[in-house]
Parts: sequence; C-alpha cells; structure tokens
Amino acid sequence: MRELSTPAIPKRSKHSWQGIIAFLFVLITVMASIYAFGWLKYDPNTTDLGDRLQEISMLHPLGTDHLGRDVLTRLLLGGQQTLGYSLLALGAALLIGIPFGLISGYSRGWIDRIFMRIADGFLSFPDTIVAIVLSGLLGAGIGNLVLAIVIVKWVNYARLVRSTVLSEAQKDYVQIARTNGLSPARIMRRHLLPHVIGHVLVLASLDLGKIILLISAFSYIGLGAQPPTPEWGAMLNDSRPYFQSRPELMIYPGLAIVSVVLLANMLGDYLRDRFDVKREVQS
Amino acid sequence: MILSMEQVTIRSREKTIVDGVSLTVHEGEWFALVGQSGSGKSLLSQAAGRMLPPNLQMDGRIKLHGQDLLSLSARQMRDIRGRKLAYVFQDYQGSFTPFRTIGQHLDEYQKVHGVTPAAIRKQQGMEALKSVGLDPELYRRYPFQLSGGQLQRVSIAMALMLSPDVLIADEVTTALDSVSGHRILELLAQKQRETGCAILFITHDWRHVRQYASRLAVMQEGRIVETGGKHRILDHPQHPYTRQLIQAAPTLRKPGNLLPSGLQEVTGQ
Repeated sequence: MRELSTPAIPKRSKHSWQGIIAFLFVLITVMASIYAFGWLKYDPNTTDLGDRLQEISMLHPLGTDHLGRDVLTRLLLGGQQTLGYSLLALGAALLIGIPFGLISGYSRGWIDRIFMRIADGFLSFPDTIVAIVLSGLLGAGIGNLVLAIVIVKWVNYARLVRSTVLSEAQKDYVQIARTNGLSPARIMRRHLLPHVIGHVLVLASLDLGKIILLISAFSYIGLGAQPPTPEWGAMLNDSRPYFQSRPELMIYPGLAIVSVVLLANMLGDYLRDRFDVKREVQS
Repeated sequence: MILSMEQVTIRSREKTIVDGVSLTVHEGEWFALVGQSGSGKSLLSQAAGRMLPPNLQMDGRIKLHGQDLLSLSARQMRDIRGRKLAYVFQDYQGSFTPFRTIGQHLDEYQKVHGVTPAAIRKQQGMEALKSVGLDPELYRRYPFQLSGGQLQRVSIAMALMLSPDVLIADEVTTALDSVSGHRILELLAQKQRETGCAILFITHDWRHVRQYASRLAVMQEGRIVETGGKHRILDHPQHPYTRQLIQAAPTLRKPGNLLPSGLQEVTGQ
C-alpha cells in the first residue's frame, strides 16, 4: 500500500455479476415489501370457505388456501413478517454486539474478562434450545423468537469486533490518538469502528440467511408467528395437509424462503469478496 | 523545571522494569534519555502521559509545572495530553489511522481541544503543514500516500500545533534513513527555537545526542546511572556503563584532537 500514489479503488472482481444479480433481487424484494406495506389493499385474513383451494385465476393470481385466503396477498405480507423480523433480530444483535465488542477489546483488563465470560455463557446455548425454552417460559410468539435469536446471535458480533479491536488498539495510531487527548468514546467511534464495520457487514449478511431460516422453521413448528398472521413458515405448515392435492400451496412459500435465503447468502459472499479485495490492496 | 519525575517505579507482575528513576527537564532544553533497547526509557516516557498499558503498575510522582499528573482525573489528563504534553513516536507508518486523511487528523486534534470554528481549524492545519515544510495540498491526502519523512513531519506538525510545553520524541529517527532522520532532527531543533518547548528526546544514537542535546541521562536496566550536561558526560563519563556505551558508538571519535562531544581538548600547563 505504501507504493500506491492513488487511492485504492477495488477492482471489479469476476464475481461482480453475482453482486449485480443479488442487488437486483434485493431491489425486487424491497419493492415488493414496500408495495405490500403501502398499497396492498387486500386483507390477508379474509376467509371465504366457498372459495377454498381455488386454482390460479384473475381474482386470485396464485389461488387460495384451505380457508379461501388469497395466497399472493399472504405471500407478500408474509415476506414483510419474515424479512422484517429477521432484520429486526439482526439489527438488535448488531446494536448489542458491536458496542460490547468495542468496549471489551479497547479497555481490556478486567472489563474484557467479565464481558467475555458473559459472552461465553451465552455462546454455550444452542439457538434452537434457547428458542424452545424461551417460548416455553414466555409463550410462543414472534416477539419471543426474535428475543431468542438476539440472545444467541449478538455474541458472534461481540467476539468478532473484540478480536479485531484487540489487535487494532495496540497499534500506534490509537496510542497517538490517546496522546493527543482524544476520549476513549471518540477513539472507538472514529478510529476503530470503521475498521470492524466491513467484517461485521459480511458476517451479518451471511447470518441473515440463517436467521430467516430459523424464523421460518420455528413458525413452521408453531413457535414463531401465530395464526392468522401470514408468515412463510406458518404458511408452509398450514398447507401441509393439502400437499397431495394442491402441492403449489407449499411450493410458493417454500420457493420464497429458498430464494430469499439464497439471495442473502449471495450478497454475503459478494460483500466478503469485495472487502477481501480491498484489504489485499490496502495491506 | 517544567517536567520532573521523582522516584518513578514501573513494575509488571513478574519484575520491576523501571526502578526509582528521578529526572527533571528544564524549560526549553533538549534533554536526551539514552540507553539500550529494553532499558525502560520508552515506558518511562509513556508514564509521563499516563499512557502505560493497564497491566503495568506505577509508583512515584510525575509533575508538570509542579502539578502532580498522577492525581488528575482521566478527563483532566486528556486536556493535558496534546495541549501541554505531546508525543512523537518512532513508527510513522502506524501513527495515522489509515482511512482518515491528514486533514481529518489535524482537524480532530484541534476539535477535541476546543478550537472552533471549523474554518479556523482548517486554516491552522494547513499552516501547521506549511510550517514543517510540507505542501498544504497534503491536507487532503491519506497517510499511505505520503513518504516516511513526510509522515514524520506531519506528526511533528501535529504534536506542536497547540504549542505544548514538553514534546516527548521517542526514537523519532529510528525508522528513517539517516538523511531523512537528520532533516527531521533539524526541523525539531528549528521548531524548538521557535516555540521554546522542552524536548525529552529518547534515543540510542550518540551522534544525535552530541549534535542536539543540552543535557542527558543514561539508563541501564531501569535505572539512571548517570545524568548531567552533554559535554561532561560525553567527555568525562563517570560510570563504567556510560564509558562502555560511548566506546561502542562507532562514529564518535573524530580525527584530530577533538573530544567525543566535539570540543577541543585543552592540555593544561
């Protein structure tokens, strides 16, 4: 990096088509969610038992389910639930994990020891168990599921941030910042946070897929979104008895989950490549 | 007397690294602290700004203008760092946060010490660059776009920007080639004449001591073995360790009858 006389511009890697497709999908998904949020006027919970298990028609583009509810409407609003709660859980985990890791890695000593023992404690619970225990204690519901995910996931971020900060804080520029009279909060925010944010973004986008799967899976077994809330996992479960006669009822939400998880992982891969390239150029 | 250390002892869990060191730095002087690597001189200088790593323990008193630094709160200490006591370190590459421009560094430094408004900060930052012989254009550059000598100049500009009373220069030339190192020291000497700040100069290079220092102290394994004026120590070292160090320095003996400090030897009648 020392020889470079121009700012490092990351080269376009051969994976960039992946990124473009991923971003296109993100755009479509986000637009669908916005549409569902802002303009969709149909009630996903209107039941019409006379119209149950209908084929594709102009009135119901993807047909109706076993209670005569419009599948497309439920799919769109279900996306909002699944994605929204996944992002909520991820955001909360980041909000807890990043400051935790920053403070722990920067102050070291006994603060670090206490923080990391707490983190180890949380790490010893597998996510499935935490979710099941929490819903057993607090009752099944999407809120408790999000809480369980946050409890399990924040530790990863705290540890990732801490390990980066631990090595960065030893470097001279942090010492210089201290000798210049900068406060610890300012050093963490301005001089250390930008270092870790790239890694965190990559880990977060890879985690997003797992969280979506987790939320869908728990809704499928009835510990997440409660009926009649439309949610992809719950929709899968609802249509299970009709798999022989109307398999497409399971295929729609299943496909939705698969494509969104795939998209999240592609995005994560793309970001990882991108950030690795940048690191290579800089160091 | 501007900076004084009294009986400063620094220990880790296993051993004592600095053992009962006392020294004083007077106003406007160039005080050199000489010693081998590992003799504790860098730790001693870090102790002055209360910058020691948390696993080390320190006893003793360190006074700046007669005020005991160890009794100050963390916030008061932050005000002193940079404003009254500034540091320049050896590793110029690592001295700057890689993703922030030179200008952002200069700006932030003034901002935390309450220099407002932003336009003044920018102007002062550019002037600081000019004052160390750099192009104000560099204000917008990133650290990795500058050469080592340039970066070390920026460090000096930054350290001297708020005119501190004491500048602690920790092996500032070690990572530079000898020509750049010489230029940096010339610059330091010139800035010292302009601002009148005292310099605590940590080095193991006797050539720099001879050329710039006014007084010096020799450190060996955490103790100061000898302290005094430059000519006294260089020409008439008392302690065997000092003698050994001076003899080991390759370039000190000048041709002719000059003494190690560059003075002419007078043979008394």
